[in-house]
Amino acid sequence: MHEQSHVIFGWNASILASILFVLVYALIISEKLNRAVLALLGAGLLIIAGVLTQEAAIRGVDFNTIGLLLSMMVIVNITGKSGVFQYVAIWSAKRVNARPMGVMVMLSVVTAVFSALLDNVTTVLLVVPVTILITEELKVRAYPFLIAEILSSNIGGTATLIGDPPNIMIGSAVGLTFNDFVFNLLPVVVVVEIATVVIFAFLWRKELVTTEEARERVMSFHEREAIKDVRLLKQALFVLALVIGGFVTARLIHLEPATIGLTGAALLLLLDNFSRDAEEQSKNVHSAFAEAEWVTLIFFVGLFILVHGLEASGVIKWMAGQLLTATGGDFNMTAIAILWSSAILSAFIDNIPFVATMIPMIKAMGPAFGGDQALMPLWWALSMGACLGGNGTLIGASANLVVAGLSERAGQPIRFISYMKSCFLLMLMSVAFCHVYMLLRYLH
Amino acid sequence: MEHQGQVLFGWSASIVASVIFVLVYGLIISEKLNRAILALLGAGLLIIVGVLNQEAAVRGVDFNTIGLLLGMMVIVNITAKSGVFQYVAIWSAKKVNAQPMGVLTMLSVVTAVFSAFLDNVTTVLLVVPVTLLITEELKVKAYPFLIAEILSSNIGGTATLIGDPPNIMIGSAVGLAFNDFVVNLAPVVIVVEIATVLVFYFVWRKDLTTTEEAMHRVMNFNEIEAIKDWRLLKQALTVLAIVIGSFVTARITHLEPATIGLMGAAVLLLLDNFTRDAEEQSKNVHSAFAEAEWVTLIFFVGLFILVHGLEASGVIKWMAGQLLTATGGDFNMTAIAILWSSAILSAFIDNIPFVATMIPMIKAMGPTFGGDQALMPLWWALSLGACLGGNGTLIGASANLVVAGLSERAGQPIRFMAYMKSCFLLMLMSVAICHVYMLLRYLH
Amino acid sequence: MTVDSIMNRNPKTVPMTETFGGAFAILMDLRIDSLPVVDTNGIYRGMFDLEDIWELLLPRAAMLGLKSLTDLAFVSDAKEAMHQKLQDAGARPVSEFLDAQVQPVHADTPVKEAILLFYKHQGDLPVVDRASKRLLGTVSPWEILQALR
Repeated sequence: MHEQSHVIFGWNASILASILFVLVYALIISEKLNRAVLALLGAGLLIIAGVLTQEAAIRGVDFNTIGLLLSMMVIVNITGKSGVFQYVAIWSAKRVNARPMGVMVMLSVVTAVFSALLDNVTTVLLVVPVTILITEELKVRAYPFLIAEILSSNIGGTATLIGDPPNIMIGSAVGLTFNDFVFNLLPVVVVVEIATVVIFAFLWRKELVTTEEARERVMSFHEREAIKDVRLLKQALFVLALVIGGFVTARLIHLEPATIGLTGAALLLLLDNFSRDAEEQSKNVHSAFAEAEWVTLIFFVGLFILVHGLEASGVIKWMAGQLLTATGGDFNMTAIAILWSSAILSAFIDNIPFVATMIPMIKAMGPAFGGDQALMPLWWALSMGACLGGNGTLIGASANLVVAGLSERAGQPIRFISYMKSCFLLMLMSVAFCHVYMLLRYLH
Repeated sequence: MEHQGQVLFGWSASIVASVIFVLVYGLIISEKLNRAILALLGAGLLIIVGVLNQEAAVRGVDFNTIGLLLGMMVIVNITAKSGVFQYVAIWSAKKVNAQPMGVLTMLSVVTAVFSAFLDNVTTVLLVVPVTLLITEELKVKAYPFLIAEILSSNIGGTATLIGDPPNIMIGSAVGLAFNDFVVNLAPVVIVVEIATVLVFYFVWRKDLTTTEEAMHRVMNFNEIEAIKDWRLLKQALTVLAIVIGSFVTARITHLEPATIGLMGAAVLLLLDNFTRDAEEQSKNVHSAFAEAEWVTLIFFVGLFILVHGLEASGVIKWMAGQLLTATGGDFNMTAIAILWSSAILSAFIDNIPFVATMIPMIKAMGPTFGGDQALMPLWWALSLGACLGGNGTLIGASANLVVAGLSERAGQPIRFMAYMKSCFLLMLMSVAICHVYMLLRYLH
Repeated sequence: MTVDSIMNRNPKTVPMTETFGGAFAILMDLRIDSLPVVDTNGIYRGMFDLEDIWELLLPRAAMLGLKSLTDLAFVSDAKEAMHQKLQDAGARPVSEFLDAQVQPVHADTPVKEAILLFYKHQGDLPVVDRASKRLLGTVSPWEILQALR
C-alpha cells in the first residue's frame, strides 16, 4: 500500500503485478518449468520492476507457514527413519488376518490418520511401499489399494491444521488453532472417509480375493523387524506427542505453530544427536534439513511474494469485490460458491497458489459480511474445497502424483483417465457431503 | 522493545535473554552440540518464555543475509558442477611449470580470488582436492599448500560484500554496497595476501623440491578434461557476471543483495533446467537447494533471534555503553579496540555470533560519535578483525576446519598446535597491517 | 528361506597376520572378489576385497567423496608408479586394509534381504553368529542362484 508509484517505465503497479502473476500461474499450469523456479523468478521480477521493495516482499512472506512446514518435514523425516510407520502398516494388515478387503480398509484408515498428523506426501511415501509389498505377496492388484490411499490421504489431511498445506496457510493467516480445525472439520472428514471406504469395499469386493497360502506368508511378516532404531522411536514419539500437545494447547500457552514446530524439531535433533561426535552431528543436522522439500518451501516463498504484490497494488481487493458482485453479496451463496469452485479448480490446478490467492480475497470480504468472526464458515469452505478437490484427478494433489510415480515404477501404472472416471465422482460426492454439512452447521 | 516486562515467572526480560544467550554461546564454544540445533532451541526458548513473540522474532531475522547466502550457495554449487574451478586451479599450476613453490603461490592467489567471490568453505572444497592430487604427484608435503590456502581463503574473503558471512551481515545491517567493501577493504587485503605469500616463500622455499619426472607428470594433466559441461559453464559464468555486475551497480538500480542473489540463482536454475522433463527438473531444483549449507543458514536464523532478544530487552545498548566507557568514548581507541578484540576473539570462537552481537552494539554508538556516517571506520575495523582473525587457529573459521577434515582423511593431518604456532603470528602480522592502514586512512 | 540353508560353510579365509601380497595372490589365483578375515578365535574382523586394492591404487583426493572431484579424466598416468604401489604394500598385514563397510548377516537372515544387498552392489556376504561374532560361512550370489535354479 506504500510503494505503489515508482514502478518501472511508469507502468501501473496493479497491471504489472497482475501480468506477472498470470504469467507465472500459466507457466506453472503448463508444467514445462519447475514451479519453485518460476515463483522465485516472478517474485524477483516484481521487486526489480519496483512493484514491491525487498522489505515489503519479505513482509509478505508468511514465515509462520514456512516454519511450520519445515519443522514438520524435519520431525517426520527423522521419525520415519525409526520404522514406526511401516510397523503400524504391517501390524494393521495382520490385525485383519491379511484378508485383502480388510487390508484395504485398514491401510486406508491408517493413511487417513497418518495424513491428519503428517504431510500427505510423506504419508503415502511411508504407506505405499508396504502396500505394494503386501499386495505382491497376496497376488492381488495394487491399484484399488493405492487409489484408496490417495483418496484417504487427502481426506485425512483435511481434518487438522497440520494435515495439508492449505490448512496451514489458512490457519496461519487467520490465526486459527489446531483445535479450531479439529472441531469444525473432523466430523465431516470422518463421514467422508467412511463413505469412501464403504464405496470402495463394495466396488472391489469381487476382485479382492487371495489364497490361504498367500495370507499365511503375510501373516508371517515380522513387523518387529521393521523397527530400525528403538531409541530413536521413543524419542520421536515423545517429541511428536509434545508437539501435538503444544498445538492443542496453543491458545492457552500463547504460542504460534511455527514456534512449537521448530522448537520440537530442534529438540528431536538434540535428542537424536547429543551422544554423537561433532562431525556426525553436523552431517545428521544437515541431512535432516536438506531432506525437507525445498521445492515446495521455495515455491511458497515466491508465491507469497507474488500474492503480496497483488495485494499491495489493490488487485485482490478488486477481485474480492467482483466475487461479491457475482454472488449478489449473499453470504450463503458466497460460501457455497467458494466450496464448489475451490473443489473443481483444485482438481485441476495446484491448490496452494489458489489458496494463497483466496486468503487475502476472503479477508477483504470482512467488512461486507460484518467482521472477521462472521467469515469463519468461508474459511471452512475454502479448506474443504481445496483439500478434497485434490482427489478429483491424478494431478489434483502432490500425494496423487507421488503415488502414481511409485506405482508406475512398481509396474502397476495408474492412468489419468481411468483414475478420473472413478474418483471425480467420488470427489463430487465428498463435496456434496460438505455442502450438506455446511448447510446444517453454518448456513441458515 | 515490545515485551520488556512480562516474562515467565515475572523474571526480567533482559536477564532471561542474557542467560539464554550466554548458555547457547557457552554450549557452542564447548562444541559438544551442533550449533544450528543450539541456536534454534535457544530462539525457541526465548519465544516460549515470552522475551519475544514469534512475530518480533521473525522481524529480528535478517532475511537479506539469509537470502544472499542461500542465493550464492545455489549459484556456486551449480557453477562448480561445470568443473571450471578445477580447470583454473590446474591451469594455474601448469603456468608455473609445476614447480612446487610456484604452485603454492599460484594456488594461494587463486584461492584468495575465488574466496572474494565465493564463500570460503566452497572455495577450499574446490581447491583442496586438486592441491592434494598435485602434491601427491609431486611427492611433496601437502601441509604448507593447505595452510597457505586456509590463510588465503580467509584473507581473500575479507575483500568483498559476498566474500565472508561477517561482511554479508555487516553490509546488510548497515546498508553498505558491494563497492563500499571493495573500495575500503581490497587495498589492505591485497597487501596482506602479498605479505603472507612472501612469508611462506621464505619459510618453505628449501623444503619444497621435487623431481623433473614428477613435474612432468603434472604438466601432462589435461585441464580441459576437467570441464564437465560446456553449456552449463557458459550459463554459469554469464549469470555470475550479471550477479556481480548487479552488485557493483546496486546503488543505482536500488536493488538489495538478497534480490540479486536469489534472482541470479533462479535464472541459473531456469537456464540449466528448461530443456529437461518435469521430474528431472524437480530433482535438480531440489538438490540445488538441498545442497546449500543448511546448518549454517539455520544457525543464522536462530542467532539473529537470540541477538534480537538481547536488543529488544536493552542488553545490547547497555553493553555498547560499557564498551564506550572502557575506551573513554575516544573514537580512535574504539576503532582499534574493535579491530584487535575482534581478531583475537575470532581466532578462538565462531566469528558469526560475535559479529551478530557487535553489529547492534556499534549501531548503538551512532549518537555518541555524531551519526551513522561517522561510524564507517568501525565497520571496517569489525570486518577486518573478524575475517582475518579466523586465521589465528585451526578452529578460527569454518574453512580451516573443512581443510583440516579433508587433509586428515587424506592421511596428512594438520594439528591444532602446529597450525597455531605458525599461523597465529601471521594473523597478528595481518592485523597489524590493518592497524597501520586504518591509522593512515581513517583515524586522525 | 534363510541364508542358513544355502551358505558356504567352509569358505577360504585368511588370518589377521596374512600379508597384503599373500591375500592379493589368493584373490588373483581363485579369481574371487573378496576374502573374509578372521582372528585366532575365528571371529569375523572384516572383508579384504577388490575395493581395498582400488583404494590403494587411487590418489587419496579421489576417495574423499567430494562433489568437487568426481572423476580423474584430466590426470596423467604411469603404469610403473601404480605397479610400485602394489609392490610396496606387499609386506603390510592385511588387517590394515580391511573394509569395515561390509556388514555381516546372520544365519536367520531372509534370503530376500541377501538378494537386496547384492542388488545394492554388495559383494559376498559374511555370515556370523549373532552372539559370538564367529564366522559361520559366506554367501555369494552364485550360491543363491544355484539354490533357486
